[in-house]
Amino acid sequence: MASKGGPSNLEKEQMFGMAEKEMEYRVDLFNRLTHSCFEKCIEKRHKESELNMGENSCIDRCVSKYWQVTNLVGQMLGNKPQI
Amino acid sequence: MASPESSAAAAGAGTDAASQSAVVEPIRMPTAEEINGQDIWNNCAVRSVVSGVMGGGLGVLMGLFFGALDNPIMAEEMTARQQIVYTAKQMGRRSMSNAKTFAVMGVIFSAAECVVEKARAKHDTTNTAVAGCVTGGALAVKGGPQAACVGCAGFAAFSVLIEKFFDRHT
Repeated sequence: MASKGGPSNLEKEQMFGMAEKEMEYRVDLFNRLTHSCFEKCIEKRHKESELNMGENSCIDRCVSKYWQVTNLVGQMLGNKPQI
Repeated sequence: MASPESSAAAAGAGTDAASQSAVVEPIRMPTAEEINGQDIWNNCAVRSVVSGVMGGGLGVLMGLFFGALDNPIMAEEMTARQQIVYTAKQMGRRSMSNAKTFAVMGVIFSAAECVVEKARAKHDTTNTAVAGCVTGGALAVKGGPQAACVGCAGFAAFSVLIEKFFDRHT
């Protein structure tokens, strides 16, 4: 190592790449979550512009379940690295 | 680049058209106040209280109207002033009683519809039918179980009809 003052250029690039991948993952997760809950919860024939209570409640539950599924699957994939 | 000229031309044409048609606004994410303001309307207690107040107002109006139409029994013996006083009292009594009935009806209907819709997470006429059944049954429960059933079915049908009447664009 040339200097111990901070991370080297290679490490910085690696961290930046990981952060970029993480950002892409987060954006993709948000897009999938939004699309999935929109398809599930909102009727196709939009009768008004505001979300009514049933749709609101459905979206709450949909997001909560999606998040739990994401966490659960992440834990399963994390605990079994040989897959 | 072609875009500045085209946007300028569109702006020139837009200001002419804007006076005739609405300008399309860009998308904004809702602020926290807007979300909270809309969330108040998602609260079952707030909704049922507001419905109760509206029902009470409707009951007052109906009581005034129908109380004024009532004829006093001893019309020939009273002077004009006595008749006016009697009619006013009649209107007041009737409107208070009507207001109470309609307010209770509004609270029960709104609370039942809100709870059912939140539990089902769907916006349907089934919510209205169930809420109407609960309201009709609750109002007719003093007449026994059969009266409650008849009240349930009748009020459910009535509320579904009213909902379909007010939702013509479905």
